[in-house]
Amino acid sequence: MTFDDSSSTSKSAELNSVKPATLNPSSVLSNFLLRYGLILTLLLVMLFFSFRTQAFATVDNLLDILRAVSILTIVALGVTFSVVVNGFDVSVGAVTGLAVILSSALMVIWKVPWYFAVLICLSVGALIGWLNSFLIIRLRIPDLLATLGMLYLVQGLQMSITKGDAVYKGMTNPWSPTRAIADGAIHPDFLRLGQGFVLSSESFRGIPIPVLIMLGVALITFVFLELSRFGRIFYAVGGNIEAARLAGIDVDKIRTIAYVISGVLATTGGLVLAARIGSGAVKAGDPYLLDGVAATYFGFAVLNARRANVFGTVLGAIFVGVMLNGLTMMNIPWYIQDVIKGLVLIISLGLSYYTTRR
Amino acid sequence: MTALKASGLKKVFPGVVALDCVDLELHGGTVHALIGANGAGKSTLIKILTGYYPSYEGQIEINGQVVAIHKPMDAFHYGIEVVHQEVDITLIPYLSVAENLLIEKLATPESGFFVRKTELYRQAKESLENLQLDIDVRRQVADLSLPQKQLLVIARAISRNASFLILDEPTASLSLSDVERLFAIIRDLRQKGVAFLYVSHRLAEIQEIADEVTILRGGRQVAHFKRENFEISKAVEAMLGSPPGELFPPREPVSERKLVMEVRNLGQTARLKDINFQVFQGEVLGITGLTGAGKTELLNILAGSQRADRGEILLNGKITRFRLPKDAIRRGIFLIPEDRRNLGLLVENTIRTNITLPFTRDFSRMGFIEPLRERQRVLQIMDRLRLVPRNPEMPAKNLSGGNQQKVVIGKWLLKESKIILFDEATQGIDVGAKREVYAIARELSKSSGVIFSSSDIDEVLGLADRVLVLHDGQIVGEFDASHVDRQQVMELATGASVKQETQIGAQEQ
Repeated sequence: MTFDDSSSTSKSAELNSVKPATLNPSSVLSNFLLRYGLILTLLLVMLFFSFRTQAFATVDNLLDILRAVSILTIVALGVTFSVVVNGFDVSVGAVTGLAVILSSALMVIWKVPWYFAVLICLSVGALIGWLNSFLIIRLRIPDLLATLGMLYLVQGLQMSITKGDAVYKGMTNPWSPTRAIADGAIHPDFLRLGQGFVLSSESFRGIPIPVLIMLGVALITFVFLELSRFGRIFYAVGGNIEAARLAGIDVDKIRTIAYVISGVLATTGGLVLAARIGSGAVKAGDPYLLDGVAATYFGFAVLNARRANVFGTVLGAIFVGVMLNGLTMMNIPWYIQDVIKGLVLIISLGLSYYTTRR
Repeated sequence: MTALKASGLKKVFPGVVALDCVDLELHGGTVHALIGANGAGKSTLIKILTGYYPSYEGQIEINGQVVAIHKPMDAFHYGIEVVHQEVDITLIPYLSVAENLLIEKLATPESGFFVRKTELYRQAKESLENLQLDIDVRRQVADLSLPQKQLLVIARAISRNASFLILDEPTASLSLSDVERLFAIIRDLRQKGVAFLYVSHRLAEIQEIADEVTILRGGRQVAHFKRENFEISKAVEAMLGSPPGELFPPREPVSERKLVMEVRNLGQTARLKDINFQVFQGEVLGITGLTGAGKTELLNILAGSQRADRGEILLNGKITRFRLPKDAIRRGIFLIPEDRRNLGLLVENTIRTNITLPFTRDFSRMGFIEPLRERQRVLQIMDRLRLVPRNPEMPAKNLSGGNQQKVVIGKWLLKESKIILFDEATQGIDVGAKREVYAIARELSKSSGVIFSSSDIDEVLGLADRVLVLHDGQIVGEFDASHVDRQQVMELATGASVKQETQIGAQEQ
């Protein structure tokens, strides 16, 4: 990426707006920063870690970073869908957690084949998404409040499945009157979803399967939102719901679909997470809510898109992952890491949004 | 008497001279009207006077003293107040009328920590009564109608003892009787020595209220009239820069009218009663009446956007029901809604996205948009509407009102229509754009039914072949527009009780 290159693209973008004041160098620079500032920051941060730590800039480590952010990315893309239609789904963390417990409980306690467990979880995720949209559209509860209520409900359900216990091989069956040992197990094929590799060879550890799932989800959502006519319609509903309705779009249907997708993606993330940890930990999904929201809103500023978008969200999730990984490698204590994560987020977003103001 | 004298005002933006050496004088006790097409420089001039721009060329004198107006507080200090067309941005919806009216006082430290409601209501009531406005000061502003909000904003400006009051298209959303009330207020304040700068597209109003008229075109002052020698035709010519020609396209004799829609006994709780009419291909059906008479509700029902609870709609002789706008669109019934910014456009999106929004399917293969085909079709539409600049990637928010309206109309030119419904389609757009909208409506009437609804009686009478007059949710008259008595339509629209008011207005003209 050379400087000349980008200035000409930003100029042609500028031609469309009212102010034709692109020719002076300072505004070319600020346009450049506006579009590429966050990507630049990410590259700089990665460069910094590469110089400071030996292990950072290795293929294995970069794949590790991607694996670490894969679940977050999938969940964040769900949040992105709700934000695209001008809604907000805060139930995703709880839904992710529910998928973790439900999938492992189905396999361990009820000995359901793993693929059925996956299907059941995905359907439950879709159902929760549909319920969210029902509360929002039919009962007219504001998005944030409806999904907040759903957050508590799902969290409670999640713990009720096992009466508050974690799910692991050889646990006592909480539903058995005789306190029998649950004799199911999490199938190795299921575990591969979170722990497996493909294309492994002597010299190469292989590409983690979670990374593949993430890339698949990102690709499909990108194509859907950016290239298909449905994406156009989703953004239209988010941009001006009345105008969209009068243009003949069934806005209720679109919003419902967005929330169902959000529920399904949160569940997908939860399934990968369950496979990754190999047991059903309680409330394992909680951190994904805040990180997912952060990644989505970070995405607003990437390439100066000013709207939730797939590329931005993926980049936002990777940003969070890079920070965590690099800081861990530099042996920064874990309690400082959140501080640094917050600061970097605030500074990079602050710079980007500050320059947006005219 | 107070006087403001601006001379040689000039404002240059990179690449554009928005305002070029314009002089303007405002005198206490007079109404000075400012007119011009969109982009003529009216808003730039207003922004200079109200301290929106830190820098500009030229000087402003108030009562003979050269003053510096470079920030909004300066303008406030000299008693210059502006009432913008979009009132919602200056009102706080969840506060009461009284709180909005006295917001400045509430924000000063002297008012103390606690809000003294009774005192607040008393003061607010007093300043509203001074203007003979009957609005409950305890109501939330969110519950007010648009005209009420407009009058409230004007009342607020006056209560700050403005000596120079700038009204930017104050009547755009007012009904006839509200306009009369506003004019009464203006006349009253004019007598008390307030100087008005009155910006409007409605030339008939200007003829009624203005003492002086300045006309801008392309940032320059092109004409100035005193009340005595003001003529609408001369004003239009000055605004357009060429003889106006006919504002309305000629009515063409129709060889055959084809019935496309019939409405029978349509009703909607308390809003509409016993509506019966027919729509023919080959003619423009005009609907007029005051704001709030039910025109918008009626059109929305026809377009599937609202539900009727009585009566039926027959399309080609068959009873039809629409659950959603998309059902009506599928049958070829297209609505150009009032309030284009909020209902008709995705303002952040491009012309292209806006135009193809209802029919993305036609530009897609297996769900994927084909950008080239889309762009080509949009360019065709833009050419047909003579929409310049010829750039489909321009965001809608950067377009003038007239061009925005063309974009809203443009999306319905993609497909053949059965009936096109125009709801207040010329609101807030300049004369040139109005003329083009009329021409489009006339042209469309050759291939489909056209309903043109507007509270501007003159435009409905000028354009339509047949006119329905709505009052209070009922059709009170149906006329052949070529020989119709304007006075009679006016009386029907305002209802018999308001009859006298209209006559007073007419006498003063």
